[in-house]
Amino acid sequence: MTAVLAPSPAPAPSRSAGALAGTGGLVRLALRADRWTIAVWAVAVAYLVRTSVVGFAALYPDAQARQARATLMSSPAATALGGPGYGLDDYTTGAMTANELGLWIMLPVAIMAVLAVTRHLRAAEEDGRLELVRSQPVGRSAPVVAGLVAAAVATLAVGAATFALLLTTELDPAGSALLCAGVVVAALVLASAAAVGAQLVGHARTANGVGMGLVGVAFVLRAVGDVQAPESGSLWSWLSPFGWSQATAPYVLDRWWPLLLGVAAVAVNLAVAFALVSRRDLGTGLLPERAGRATGRLGGLAGLTWRRQRTSILAWGVATALCGALIGLLADAVVEFAASDPQVLQLFGETDDVLDGAFAVYAVFLGVLAAAYAGTAVGAARADESSGRAAVLLALPVARTRWLGAQLAVAVAAVLLMLLAAGLLMGGSAAATLGDADQVARLTGAVLVTAPAALLVLGLAVLVLGAWPRAFPLVWAYVAYVGVMGMFAAVLPDGADLLSPFRYLPRLPAEGMDPGAVLAVTALAVALGSAGLVAFRRRDTLA
Amino acid sequence: MSDAITVRGLVKTFGRTRALDGLDLVVRTGEVHGFLGPNGAGKSTTIRVLLGLLRPDAGEARLLGGDPWSDAVALHRRVAYVPGDVTLWPTLSGGESIDLLGRLRGGVDPARRDALVERFELDTRVKGRAYSKGNRQKVALVAALAADCELLLLDEPTAGLDPLMEAVFQEVVREAADQGRTVLLSSHILAEVEALADRVTIIRQGRAALSGSLAELRSLTRTSVTVGVGDADDALRRLGGLAGVHHARRDDGHVTFEVDGPALPGVLTALAPLGVSSLLAHPPTLEDLFLRQYSDELAGLGLGPAGGDGDRAGVR
Repeated sequence: MTAVLAPSPAPAPSRSAGALAGTGGLVRLALRADRWTIAVWAVAVAYLVRTSVVGFAALYPDAQARQARATLMSSPAATALGGPGYGLDDYTTGAMTANELGLWIMLPVAIMAVLAVTRHLRAAEEDGRLELVRSQPVGRSAPVVAGLVAAAVATLAVGAATFALLLTTELDPAGSALLCAGVVVAALVLASAAAVGAQLVGHARTANGVGMGLVGVAFVLRAVGDVQAPESGSLWSWLSPFGWSQATAPYVLDRWWPLLLGVAAVAVNLAVAFALVSRRDLGTGLLPERAGRATGRLGGLAGLTWRRQRTSILAWGVATALCGALIGLLADAVVEFAASDPQVLQLFGETDDVLDGAFAVYAVFLGVLAAAYAGTAVGAARADESSGRAAVLLALPVARTRWLGAQLAVAVAAVLLMLLAAGLLMGGSAAATLGDADQVARLTGAVLVTAPAALLVLGLAVLVLGAWPRAFPLVWAYVAYVGVMGMFAAVLPDGADLLSPFRYLPRLPAEGMDPGAVLAVTALAVALGSAGLVAFRRRDTLA
Repeated sequence: MSDAITVRGLVKTFGRTRALDGLDLVVRTGEVHGFLGPNGAGKSTTIRVLLGLLRPDAGEARLLGGDPWSDAVALHRRVAYVPGDVTLWPTLSGGESIDLLGRLRGGVDPARRDALVERFELDTRVKGRAYSKGNRQKVALVAALAADCELLLLDEPTAGLDPLMEAVFQEVVREAADQGRTVLLSSHILAEVEALADRVTIIRQGRAALSGSLAELRSLTRTSVTVGVGDADDALRRLGGLAGVHHARRDDGHVTFEVDGPALPGVLTALAPLGVSSLLAHPPTLEDLFLRQYSDELAGLGLGPAGGDGDRAGVR
């Protein structure tokens, strides 16, 4: 990024507002750096939401079909990954949108906002940009405000674009406004909480981890709460910013007051963040840093990659495995609820079919998590290259294919182990709840069969890194696409998921095994990765 | 194979920028070769081509008799590199980084490593992200100098080092040279190059503007001389008439002038009968050579008379 502060005319002396001096310039700088990211997010989220809503309307055209869907969505498994279930007794397209889609709009937008805050606060500080900025007549709190304003503008842009496109659907504008406001408020609460976290820790990567951890905790709190009691009846749901936004029940109750909690939380977070920023030195966190080892035992590139990636691998692995365990635990709830409602069986066939169908969907969900990790693994290699760390290693007797290959090997092993662990936990907990030991092998297989798709994402990321490194953001776009298709292909237009590798894999255990398809996707993944290695060997290194 | 590095007509473009534009560079085995040029002249690009990190668009580059691009791995066993802006792994301590780099090279002599750590006064327990610029530079220097290799490629290696550490660095490079290693030292710290280098190449806009031993280069440029004489007017008249003497001027009992290298013997002969009471001869510094190469740019910046006839070398 080559954003540069435009030289401004001599500042009016009366304008210096102490700790907030210079905020305006910093906000402009941040927005200038982020303008394309913001535009892409706004367009992508708004388009996907609209397409999904149109898909809901087409797939469930009448009250009967929607009611059958409502019955399915009242299951604990669906509740955990969806919403608190307002309006299930009269399941309109609007209620369906808020209940099934709402959380999945909030989640990525919150992640975007959190990443924007840590990027503007800590990353700029870490590489020394902030030092340059703070030496100007700029107040201590100005960068915090600027980072938050940039995140807020991005969030508002996504919310406004989504609202605008929702106006073109059949949904009630008042409900759509509330839905989008809920998305914005939840994202801002988490972003401001991430700003507090960013003052405590010393480094951008840790700050990112803290922010993502907050998003995860918020997600789990409302999942637990909503499963315990529908319609936000549990205290747990009210501990989560996502829970507050979902409690507005857009299109059903249309109540605005839960958002006041969010506004209050943002105010408290900001006050804490400002109090902390005035207490710490530039370039440090409030929590102390430990000293390292005087001599190293790292033996090679794989060891280095593991050392660099282990936090990320463990975080993704634990998240994926816990999701697997949660899904398994909810298995008997799916069975119970299928047995309790003859209408469901009529619509989806036998009890076992309902269960296997649900398992197949969740197996893809776990595969998508592994694919997202794969994207971050190659992203880390790219970051090492553009920072110049790769050049230091490549100046040693280390071939380029070895440098990238070692990182790939770690990523492949991590993807497989992460899916194996998730499959075993999902199968184990399902076997325990259903009293059916066979589920362990079945579900482990069902989860592992998604691995070729995750590896294909890995291979594609390597190809982009090797052949077209400046286009690496496209990899993130593709990961997002694969994720959306994995979760929502059913409600999207036919063929929308043509480019998603998960489409071509057998959906175990609902479908039979198809070794040909598995081999084909694996072969394509290997081909893409190999082509990427060859291209990487031929090009100039970055930086 | 008496040349460690041979570069001929090297061209490397980045988009519309021509970073190297027909560069020639010869580094003889066993010498310390200074590689001078201002920011953006193409020094780092050259070194990155020599390391096989960049692929040249045209021209030829040979490193230790091999091709830097296709023989990279084999060559790198014999080469050590220090970048000018070291980025370390944020979560690895300095010691871990040094040992990792050493193991990837195939092992490092621990005694040598420890000796260097001590000489550079490096705290190896600090994490990469917590080091200052100078300390990051020391980590890279220790890792490179601890390696047992024939050729050191140093790209502005002392940026950020304090004067004490700069002195240690010069000492260590001299030792390396005494052991028969070849050093390519890219720098814009002219005193450092002057102290260490046998030969220098001055690069300008991707081309070698000047190359040779410091003695050769000095002979291309004027020596500034100040003499104290009994009859300054007479001395001024006589010297002013000599070929190769420029800017002769008097200052009380002193005459100050500049002499082209080849004219120096004639000037000394002419001075002998003048009753010289004091003599101060000031050979051109590397700075003079360097600024002369860039004199038109300095003029463009409005920085005074360093043009064709004017000179910076003068009496202080």
